[in-house]
Amino acid sequence: MFPPRQDVLRLMPEIILSLSGILLMLIEPFLSGARRTLIVTLAALGSGLALVSTIYPATLPGTAFSGLLRIDGFSVFVHVVVEAVAFLVIIGSADYLDREKIQHGEYYALVLFATVGMCVMAGAAELMTAFVGLETSSISTYILAGYRRDVPRSNESAMKYFLLGSFATAFFLYGIALLYGATGTTQLARMTFPTTPGRERLLDLGLGLMLVGLAFKIAAAPFQLWTPDVYEGAPTPVTALMASGPKAAAFALLLRILATVGAAGTFWFWALWVSAALTMFVGNLAAIAQSNVKRMLAYSSISHAGYILVALAAAAASDQVELGVAAVLYYLAVYALMKLGAFIFVSQLGGESERHMEIDDFRGLAVRQPVAAACFALFLLSLLGLPVTSGFLGKFYIFNAALASRLIWLAVLLAINTVIAAFYYLRVIVVMYMRQPNQTWPPAPMPWAVTFVLSIAAAGTFYLGLFPGRVMALATQAALSLPGR
Amino acid sequence: MSGNLAQAYAPLLIHLLVALGLSAILLILSSLIGQHRPTREKMQPYECGITPVGDAREPFDVKFYLVAMVFILFDVEAVFLYPWAYVFRELRWFGFTEMLLYILILLAGYVYLWKKGALDWNPSKTQRDRQT
Amino acid sequence: MPPSYLLTSVTFLPLAGTTALFMLRADDHEWIRRIALAISLFEFALSLQLLRGFALTSANYQFVEFRNWIPSPPIHYHLGIDGISLFLVLLTTFLTPIAILVSWKSIEQRVRAFFISLLVLETGTIGVFVSLDLFQFFLFWEVMLIPMYFLIGIWGHERRIYAAIKFILYTMLGSILMLVAMIWLYELSGSFDLPQIQSLLVSGQVALSFQTELLLFAAFFLAFAIKVPLFPLHTWLPDAHTEAPTAGSVILAGVLLKMGTYGMLRFCLPLFPEAAHRFAPYVAVLAIIGIIYGALVAMVQTDLKRLVAYSSVSHLGFVVLGLFAFDPTAVQGALYQMLNHGISTGALFVLVGMLYDRRHTHLIREFGGLASPMPMIASLFLFVSLASAGLPMLNGFVGEFLILAGTFARNVSWASSAAVGIILSAVYLLWAYQRVFFGDLIYEKNRTLADADRRECVVLLAMAVLILWMGIGSVSFTRRTEASARNVFVLMQRPQAYNARAILRSIEPLRSGGVR
Repeated sequence: MFPPRQDVLRLMPEIILSLSGILLMLIEPFLSGARRTLIVTLAALGSGLALVSTIYPATLPGTAFSGLLRIDGFSVFVHVVVEAVAFLVIIGSADYLDREKIQHGEYYALVLFATVGMCVMAGAAELMTAFVGLETSSISTYILAGYRRDVPRSNESAMKYFLLGSFATAFFLYGIALLYGATGTTQLARMTFPTTPGRERLLDLGLGLMLVGLAFKIAAAPFQLWTPDVYEGAPTPVTALMASGPKAAAFALLLRILATVGAAGTFWFWALWVSAALTMFVGNLAAIAQSNVKRMLAYSSISHAGYILVALAAAAASDQVELGVAAVLYYLAVYALMKLGAFIFVSQLGGESERHMEIDDFRGLAVRQPVAAACFALFLLSLLGLPVTSGFLGKFYIFNAALASRLIWLAVLLAINTVIAAFYYLRVIVVMYMRQPNQTWPPAPMPWAVTFVLSIAAAGTFYLGLFPGRVMALATQAALSLPGR
Repeated sequence: MSGNLAQAYAPLLIHLLVALGLSAILLILSSLIGQHRPTREKMQPYECGITPVGDAREPFDVKFYLVAMVFILFDVEAVFLYPWAYVFRELRWFGFTEMLLYILILLAGYVYLWKKGALDWNPSKTQRDRQT
Repeated sequence: MPPSYLLTSVTFLPLAGTTALFMLRADDHEWIRRIALAISLFEFALSLQLLRGFALTSANYQFVEFRNWIPSPPIHYHLGIDGISLFLVLLTTFLTPIAILVSWKSIEQRVRAFFISLLVLETGTIGVFVSLDLFQFFLFWEVMLIPMYFLIGIWGHERRIYAAIKFILYTMLGSILMLVAMIWLYELSGSFDLPQIQSLLVSGQVALSFQTELLLFAAFFLAFAIKVPLFPLHTWLPDAHTEAPTAGSVILAGVLLKMGTYGMLRFCLPLFPEAAHRFAPYVAVLAIIGIIYGALVAMVQTDLKRLVAYSSVSHLGFVVLGLFAFDPTAVQGALYQMLNHGISTGALFVLVGMLYDRRHTHLIREFGGLASPMPMIASLFLFVSLASAGLPMLNGFVGEFLILAGTFARNVSWASSAAVGIILSAVYLLWAYQRVFFGDLIYEKNRTLADADRRECVVLLAMAVLILWMGIGSVSFTRRTEASARNVFVLMQRPQAYNARAILRSIEPLRSGGVR
């Protein structure tokens, strides 16, 4: 009368996330008055529990729900990343929402629903399931992007994200349809069968459309145009979520298709190569010109998508996908932490209605708030990829994968881009450390929740930068757990 | 296979063509044969026979959209019930519990809407305050 | 031999010491200075232990520590020193207390952060010299940029931010390509461990095609050449030196530039000998251009600190020339010159910094006739200048002599054109000396300038003694470096079969497209 017990256990994180989301949604209208603590605690508890409950899928690998989901090391890895991001974003948002006077239960419910979508994407073994996951996460983030209802920029952000995102999902869906037409199945694992003659074109077209749809989601050039506006307009904690969570999930889906469907590697390789090169340059060159730190970080996240694409191209080029896949996974974890830290810091420093986002507002911050400034500098250096920080090791593994697949020129382009990127990351550090403090406004003290999130992100950045062994072993294990072509 | 496809769908196509053709012919014929004596009253938009007041292009209250959206939401959800009903016997209790779960989740949404006052045509002042 | 943690302690002691500084109150400047000095002096004493246990005649790595670090790709924590790195480590530990002493009064803002940066920098530089794992080497190589960047950018002079950014961007450009080359080398050899790669190459188990070797050499060489800096890549150096605070300049000139030449000697020559031979003529020409160009530009400087900075370009040209002469004597000379330059140019920067502390300018025309108010500084300035210009009995002579002697054996015209640089260096140093210390006291405020106080005397005399000792007792240094200097040429040999295989491999097209 119920689905098999293992299936439910394998889906435990998603179930917990959904239930806590629904609960939060219902609590919101029923309670009034002092409910902030309750809501935040519930949300944090929900995401934390989900994170803990990932132990079930981790110990029970296999397929679930008639093969719609495939719970393996890979999906567990992405689950952990995405759930950790949700947990940290929820804690990091509370004070921001207070300041903006938009402290509602729905916000957290939407974050949780978005996370459910990402988790489903990570585990989907079948394209319609993947699509459902994609839509769940997308629609939730569309709303979140416009959560500051009274701010035109936020509305613009939500509108742009919605319109372009719908296009992207339409492309993706069309791709699924064509793949179904070509292979007669939406199960990824069964698409490995040789197709009937005359249908290869259809298969390629379907794969191409799916790549376009996902490229939108990961902000890969030439489909990155929406990113800066959307990231800048959205409430900053939401930007933190968008930059780390959905991106990781979309990359996970790309990887799974790449690793499972034999035709994808060959067909996508050059597209990935070109897109990687283009994305890195577009992101970095545009970031140099920015004077708004939030916008600069948005462009920087485009360029990071480019770095990850290098590893993806490496996975596509080689017969052994593990190296590339593990590099992507490691980078996703690293990137999620440092980007989240950077955005949460910016959200706190921005003050009421995000007034202080210009690079000049960061003047002399090192004198006023040495610890916070040091944290932010750490995230920037990590984004830049200097050693001892996790960003360096992430990049190191990408280089390693790229060179193992003999993508020497792509590796050189990545190296050049690192230097270009140094320019704008260091500029912020210069302003924080080497200029006189800004006298007109004193930055507010850090609330403990933000401090907590920042210290976790900073500790993670150091840990992943110095002792990558354990996490990298997990990433490699995850990469090996993919079914393979 | 394409032959089969054409055979299977041919009646549908013919039906479609006939319907389109007929309406087109009627429209064209009436405009060709009929007499045209436009007056002011005749050119006015038809609103249930009442004399129209003001411009039709006025902003609608957001409540209309809200109701429309809610309607579509719950209407579309109902679509899922049809295929379920079709295989209900084969799914047995499994299908029943699954659908129960589904409806419960829908119900949660409904309760949320209700308590939020989305179904209230004239929300009281306190509720309006709570919404903003 | 029982496992010793001496190298680990020497490397990380300064970093550990920073925690003591963190515990002090940020405005307790006096104690911050004292503790920092104590840490650096203790560090120096500790590093002297290396001399005691160092086996003279061995060319092998000593005090080796080997530990697993990252399982995949295999990266180890691998430390060790030989005759090449021994004195560079000692140079670093010697110059750091000096740098702390000269910043005693001149640094007044954010004192704690300053000394922390200096100590972190010390760990970084020592780490570079003792790392035997490519990955670990790169880690220290890059990490050391950050404290230097802050030293220049926060406590520097007027155009400090420009100089700091220029410094870091230049170095990063080179080093990131070196990282690519390192990983590529790993793909080819399956190891990040320098001794292991080296033995694989020497035994012929791994053979690089000539084309690959050229590319790898170029990537490594670019990183080191920027750091040295070799002639067309030197433009960051005058800015960085001039804008840095005195301590920054001392460390920058004394140690950081040596990392470039050290890298060439440690990686470029032994790992890629054929490419090194192919490139040697071009490198030598660039080095000679650097020697003469640096000297000529130094001559026309109006800024005393910039003059010293350009003299570095000239002196480091000698070192590079010595390395690419492929002669054990010249390599020994280059090693010796690296130490000389570290001490004498360091001392010059210290002296210039003392003048700056008193007058807050580096412009030569602001001085004149300083010999009478400050006899102590004047006489030591002369002493150091002469050492730097290569006067016999002082340290500079030994290094330059060895380099030229070795280079003569290989190429007479290289040696003779480089010799011009020695004459020029005497010209610009003595001319500058004359303008600063002799002549009339033009400015009234120069009349009352104080001579060196006790702290400054200690610093200067310590350096002067070392200069003299290195001039007279050079054997005590060279006998420790000799075995390693010769060993470089052993490592550069490749088995005979290598050539045939290299040709075969170069025929195989380079699969750079990556199509499966």
